[in-house]
Parts: sequence; C-alpha cells; structure tokens
Amino acid sequence: MSEIKKIRTVCRNCHGGCGVIAHVKDGKVIKVEGDPESPISYGSLCSKGLSITQLAYHPDRILYPMKKVNGKWERISWDDALSTIADKFNQVIDKYGPESIVVGQGTGRDYESHLYRFANLLGTPNVLTAGHMCYVSRVASTLITCGNLPICDYRGDPKCIVMWGCNPQWSNPDEYKGVDFWQAYKKGAKLICIDPRKGFLAKRADLWLQIRPGTDAALAMGFHHVILEEELYDKDFVENYIHGWDGFTERVKGYDLERVQEITWVDKDLIRKAARMYAVTKPACIHWGVPTEQTNNCADCTRIMTGLMAVTGNLDAPGGNVLYVNPPTRTVSEFARHKDLSKEARAKRLGGDQFKLGARVAFINPKSAWDAILTEKPYPLKAGLLCGTNPVITRANAREAYEALKKLEFLVVLDFFMTPTAELADIFLPSGTWLEQNHVADNWKRHGFILARQKCVEVGECWQDHKIFMELGKKMGQEWWDTVEDALDYLLEPAGLDWETFKKKGYLQGEMVYYKYKERGFSTPTGKVELYSTALEKWGYDPLPKYTEIPESPVSRPELTEKFPYILNAGFRTPTFFHSANRMIPWLREIRPDPIVEIHPETARKKGIQQGDWVYIESPRGRVKERAKLNDGIDPMVVVAEHGWWYPEIKDPGHGWDISNINILMDNAYETLDPAIGSTNLRVCLCDIYPCGDE
Amino acid sequence: MEKVSLIFFKKDCMGCHACEIACKQEHGLGVGPRLVRVLEHGPDFKPIYCHHCAKAPCIEACPENAITRNAQGIVLISSEACIGCKECLEACPFSAMQFDEDAGTAIKCDLCIERLERGEAPACSTVCPTQCIQWGDTKAFFKRMDESMS
Repeated sequence: MSEIKKIRTVCRNCHGGCGVIAHVKDGKVIKVEGDPESPISYGSLCSKGLSITQLAYHPDRILYPMKKVNGKWERISWDDALSTIADKFNQVIDKYGPESIVVGQGTGRDYESHLYRFANLLGTPNVLTAGHMCYVSRVASTLITCGNLPICDYRGDPKCIVMWGCNPQWSNPDEYKGVDFWQAYKKGAKLICIDPRKGFLAKRADLWLQIRPGTDAALAMGFHHVILEEELYDKDFVENYIHGWDGFTERVKGYDLERVQEITWVDKDLIRKAARMYAVTKPACIHWGVPTEQTNNCADCTRIMTGLMAVTGNLDAPGGNVLYVNPPTRTVSEFARHKDLSKEARAKRLGGDQFKLGARVAFINPKSAWDAILTEKPYPLKAGLLCGTNPVITRANAREAYEALKKLEFLVVLDFFMTPTAELADIFLPSGTWLEQNHVADNWKRHGFILARQKCVEVGECWQDHKIFMELGKKMGQEWWDTVEDALDYLLEPAGLDWETFKKKGYLQGEMVYYKYKERGFSTPTGKVELYSTALEKWGYDPLPKYTEIPESPVSRPELTEKFPYILNAGFRTPTFFHSANRMIPWLREIRPDPIVEIHPETARKKGIQQGDWVYIESPRGRVKERAKLNDGIDPMVVVAEHGWWYPEIKDPGHGWDISNINILMDNAYETLDPAIGSTNLRVCLCDIYPCGDE
Repeated sequence: MEKVSLIFFKKDCMGCHACEIACKQEHGLGVGPRLVRVLEHGPDFKPIYCHHCAKAPCIEACPENAITRNAQGIVLISSEACIGCKECLEACPFSAMQFDEDAGTAIKCDLCIERLERGEAPACSTVCPTQCIQWGDTKAFFKRMDESMS
C-alpha cells in the first residue's frame, strides 16, 4: 500500500485564503483538512472547500481541450486549441483591431495578474470583470477617497462591529476574516447588524437595523447626521485630515432622521442609537458587503461609509478600518504591465468615457460589452475569452447576456464544467482546480497576506489558468516566462524570495503600521480623506456623495406597483454555493437541492403560497421559478431570492439556465447603473410572486 | 477508559454545514445518510446529531443487539449484525439514526472512533468556524462547561 503524502496548500473554492492540508495517495487527493496553522482560517474549512474532491474528480468535469465542430464538442490537443485561438485572434486583430477582443473573468480568483497581462499585451482595453459591482468598485471608490481600501482590523480588538450587508461566515469565509470576526465578537465587541433579513447575526446583534433593500447610502448619511448634530466626530481628524468638510456637512444636513427613516424604513430612534454606538465605542469597525455596492449608489455609498470611518477617527486606527500593509511582492498592476497598454488603446475602452471611475481601475461594464456585440456600436466585439465566469447566470438582464454571447463570432471559455456559458463557446479549455496549481495566492487582494498554493496533483490534461494565459500568450508572440514557477519567482522577487523558498514558508504577512497618514498623509491628490472628491470633480461628477433613489422602487416607479407590488431583494448567498458554482457537487446539492425564495408568512397567505411551493417571481423583464420558504424575519413587502442557479443535471446545452436564474429579472439599462463606476443593480427591483400551480 | 462526549452549542451554530461535509468525507459517505445535519428555522439552526445517550433508546430498540455502547461511552452499530429493520431510526429521539440505502443497514455517528484512536478530534469539530462543536473527556469536559458558564 502506498503512503499518504500530506501537502500544505490554500483553498480557492471562493476567493480563497483558507489553509488546507491535502492528503494525496497514488497521485490522487483522497481527503482535505483545514490547516490549524493557517493565519487566516486557523483550521476551519467550509463546506465548499471540503468538497473539493467531489469537484476535482467529478464525472462531468471536462479534462481535455474541446472544439465545437458542427455543433458537437470534440476533443483536441492543447497545441491545436492554442493555435486555433491564436489564429482567430490574429485575424480579428488584423481586421478590427485588438479592442474587438473582450477578455473576461468572474470574481477575483487569483488569475487577474495573468489575465490582465494577456489582455494588455494583446492590446485590448476591454476586460470584463465583476469588479464594476463587487469589491473592486469598493477598491476604486476608496482609492479616490482615502488612497486604499479600509478593512476591519479584527486583530486590533474592535469594541464595536458594524456588520453592514454582510454575513462573512456564510458567504465568504475566506481572508475577509470570518473566523477573526467571530473571535472579536466573542471577546465582547458590540454588534450592529444592517440587513433586510433577520439572519444569524441580526438575531445576535445588539442592534439590528432592518433596512429597505438598496438604501444603505441614505442610512449612512443618517449616521453622519447624528454624528454631526451631536458633535461625536473626532475634531482633530476632521480639522487636519478631511478635504471638503464644510461642503460635506452641508450635504449631511439634508439627511435629517425623519427623511432617512422615510427612505430606509429604519426607525429614527434606532438610527440615532446605532450611530451613537458606532461613534462613541472605540475602536469600531465597519465590515461591508456587496449589497452596498450592487446598486446605482455604489461609489457614493462606499464614499459615505469611508467618511464614517474617517470622521470617527477609526481610519487606520488599531481595531478600526485599516489600510493594510502588504508583503513587498510585485502587484497585479506591475505584473500585468498595465502601463504598456497604449493611450490610444485606453481611449477605446468601451464605456470608458461614461464610467470614468471604472476606467481608472481598468474594467468595462457588461452592458457596454453586450451592446458592442449586439449593436456593433461604437465598434463591434468579435471574439472573446472568458475565464472562470458564467455571465449567462451572474449578470443582470441575463437574456441579453445570453443573446450577446451567442452572437459573438468566436468565444473561448476556461472552466471546469460545460456551464451554460461554456456551451456557447467555440473552444473549451479545461482549467485546473486549486489542487492543481502553483500560485502566490491572494496577491491581488490588499489584505496583508500572500499564501503559497501548492500543486498537489494533476487531473486529466487540465492546466492551471496561469499556464493557459502564458502558453496562449507565447503562441501570440507575447513576452512571458518558460514556466509558471518562473513567473512566480518574478512576482516574489521584491520580497527576496523565490517560489521554492516561499512554498516552504507557507505564507508572508506584511508588517502592519497604523496611523500611516500622520507621517505621510493619505494617497489622494490633497493628501487628505476626500469627502469632497477632486477626482470625481475633475471627471465631471458630483464631488460630494448622496443617496439616489433606487431606479425601480415603489418610490421611483409607483406606476409599476400595481402589477409588481413587492421589492425583490435578489442575490441571497448561501454557504454551500459560490455564485453559479457547485450545483453539481453531490454533497452540497444534498444540503440545498433547490433555489429558495423567502417570503413573509403574511405575504404567503395573501398570495396562496405554502411553504415549499414552487413559485414564479416576476419583474418587468421576465419570470423565473424558485421554491418558497416562509420567514417572518423579512418585511412583508420584501422577497429575498437566491442567485446563481442553473441545473447541471439537465443535459441539454442550456442546462436550465433560464428556469431559476434570478438575474433574468434584473435590469441593466444605462440609467439604472452607477454613473461613475457603472455598477449594475443586481440587488433590487420590483416584482410579483405567485404559485406556479400544477405545471 | 475515560468516557468521551461531544456537544453542539446550538446558540453558536450559524448553519454553515461544514460539519456535515467533514463527516461525509471522513466516513466516505455519498448522498443519503447524514450522520450530522443542521436544520434551518428562520435565524435559528438546529444541529441533529447522535448524543451517545447513556441509556440509548436505539440500543434498546434493536432486536439483534447490533448496537452497543463501548467503554468510552460511544454508541456503535455493527453493520454485519444489523438486519435493516429501522427500529432504531424510529426509537432515536433526536432523529440522528440514519439509513444507508446501498448497504441496507442503519448507520450512525461513531464519534470518529478511528480518529480518536490516533489522538485526533472528531472531524466535525475541527472545521467549525464558531467552535460550537465541543468534545472531550466527559468529566473534564463538563467541568470546563460549568466553569465557563459560572
């Protein structure tokens, strides 16, 4: 009997970060365990990470490059696949220019350095990511406000935690410190939970603010109003480190608590209590989730919340929201050679003129991409390469996304399975899972750590994404390295490490310094926290943040409420799935077999819906079905629905992409997007809900 | 031999289901038997698991004496002796007893007895992000609980 080898590595079933010990026997991973020595997860591991063996060795996993011939998939060699892609891309470049190729990815999963390098060296400015409405939008908005992304400093012992639209232990138990949060909370920190739905944390919280979905920016302005009125702000900080205080306070005065209560549905006394608790309990941190970003208020909401951290003196203070110091590796930007993309190429970025804050962080909005394909304006997109993304399921107005990708002349998809998006491709390239890659994990994030993700096994002919970009790039004459590991040596060089030594070390932590601004100010044009943004002013946007009503709500579109009386709060996360992933994993699907929509029992009674019924949820853009679950912890006017659903067990090429896909209901019209960054409203629209009947 | 206990502190269970997958992996189980599982009721979560009862109804219900309690207090079932009558499933007050359709026999939590022999913790307890699954030598464990509550 051969021996079991234990390999220390790092998960990436979500964004990654949790430490893993993989047990390898006869070239196969037979088991994974949490790594008790991990500085991120301390031995815990979530259901997704624990299921990796069912993903890596799934019978439906595609293990070889595939080419679609007369509508049928055929196995081809890597060389054949890469040559075909290179030839096609070169034809498109010759005829239409490199900007006619869109390169896309899903959420940040540690390949952005390589993906962006490939795109930049190709010469296309059109990189389509989730960044416009998820995390990178937060990075961009804080970049122009205080120079960097402020993150909860759980290790610094916060005494008050504001959990704002987030449930880190359920939906993202990775480096964003689900375990660290829990430890800080168990030490006795006060907890303020802002959530339309009464979940585990709302129940535990000292204060729960049941907000009307999408009105977070108004609530944050209400907090500012209390802090200003009661003079709870840090006077020294405000005097020395805020740019635009007078203008900002004038803006805040417009948000008296009567008005904020009317907008947010949160009782004004409760808002006052919460704002006081946050402002006077020191130190205090705000842990924000994506619902604060996935609306037309994206940039402003982030800026207002950054303002809360600043005016209370919690910015870069121990236990507050800190600007992490990262290990001295090469950044994604340097590795990706962003600077090598010519000015002329940048000027052609789709939607770049309209969404200048988005262009600043080098991505495009999906609506701009779909329009360029479908209308060929301002110029046509002809070819695409999508890595680890399933936009047919995860992007707003999914039917449009589907039509656009179907029309694209030539599409390459990198994934593990034939997803509904992959089925629209011409070439499928099989990616390696995190068990099959060597990488400096989390280098793209700015959370103070990098971690060694070590290759444990190889499966079929799958390649790690990094190698795919590298080999395809080389085929097209781009400058890359001989091996994946050579590129990692380059990444690690400034830290005085190479891959082999780093692998043995396991991880590297940046040396944290607090209150950096006292020495060198903030990295903004004025050197201060710009509540009045000079960047936004220069680009022609409102330099001061505000709340703008949700584009489709009972307030903004009262004429729709007769047909669509409820507020759909879409995008509900569950612990077993990550966006559109994992529906084919038997262990996980057993726990959550069906898509769930939660409704208040009173609403259910009114609509004749019983627990467990299949129901239609309908918006002006279409209807899908999910299974009803009664929950008296949500407002009777609000309906909370899961996202990301398709049915891998349905074997036709659509794989049931339009049955329960909540993003069919969401709008992506330009007037519904955030004006500066192009964030799509993936969270809130009007809807009706009713039983499916006997069908 | 010292007796061993395992308990879920329900108040801290946040319904992540990691314990379920750790258990499935440890015991090589596919879809079907769930030796530990977490039910959701609104914001509350209810872990369903074997309590290794001192006076175990499953032991009493079994017509074949297939279920026994060892010196460590772990209630175990012999798949060889089990005839698949499901009396134990009905008897268990926690609905913790499961049935393996493939084998045609009842199956239950063995407190990861093989891991315990190697000096390792039960699989479910190692992955819990809120540390709501606690285990240990029964006497010391309950003493620790008393202290933490007083």
